[in-house]
Amino acid sequence: MSLGEVIFVVICLVVALGALGAVLSNSLIYAVFFLLLTMGGIGGLYIYLKTPFLAMMQILIYLGAVGVLLIFAVMLAGPFWRRPKERGPFLKGVAGLGVSLLSFILFWRVLRHHPWEVGPQGEVSTSRIGRAILDRYPFAFELISLLIVASILGAIMLGVLSRQGPPKAEED
Amino acid sequence: MLYLWERPEVFQFLSVLLLCSGILGLIYRRTLLGMLISVELIMNGAGLNLVVANRFFQTAGVDGQVFTLFVMGVAASEVAIALGIVLLLFKRTKKIEAEGLKELKG
Repeated sequence: MSLGEVIFVVICLVVALGALGAVLSNSLIYAVFFLLLTMGGIGGLYIYLKTPFLAMMQILIYLGAVGVLLIFAVMLAGPFWRRPKERGPFLKGVAGLGVSLLSFILFWRVLRHHPWEVGPQGEVSTSRIGRAILDRYPFAFELISLLIVASILGAIMLGVLSRQGPPKAEED
Repeated sequence: MLYLWERPEVFQFLSVLLLCSGILGLIYRRTLLGMLISVELIMNGAGLNLVVANRFFQTAGVDGQVFTLFVMGVAASEVAIALGIVLLLFKRTKKIEAEGLKELKG
């Protein structure tokens, strides 16, 4: 087993255990840190898939922006050592069993019973991605930018609303 | 003998795992922030799956990577707006559980 394979196995384990930890950990701040671990691991997987541009975007957007936002939100939404209420053990067991069964069926049916043909592996350069965005999907690209502007305006509106305090109860 | 990272099943298994743990989290968590974390897991799984499909099964174009970039943009804006809503609800109700939020209408 070469060094590259060892690193790959470690990254896969980090992704899998991080995903489970993000779901199952009791404290929300630990869940956010496990989620960050998973996102960084997926960045490593993107490097193994020979798409370094996406790995960079993954680390910039998910680790940099989304992760910091989530940490701020967890710290602002109450003291993070306060454990939120959890569901009972029976429901937890049923949910875990159901979801693992679903994942097993999904994996088995879709991946095993379908003849996937692995094509030749070409090199992908970043300039091809940019050209594809601007040549083939310009409308979707512009819509994404519009969506981001709308969400920024919406976040500002929500901030203004939260500063005004709770509205008076409507009279019935 | 293929390397481990030249086999698509490994990546597809990981993305199925991410999707299903996200679904489990959506059922399992009772807080809005926990649900948001689970949605992030699902989106990461979707992006990984798109890149794998592009890399192994449709190697002529780069469409899968472009769509993964779109998924990232949607995820970022969704997190921004959802966190605004969560903080607003926390300031009004002083709770972070999703239950008991009955005044979201209108």
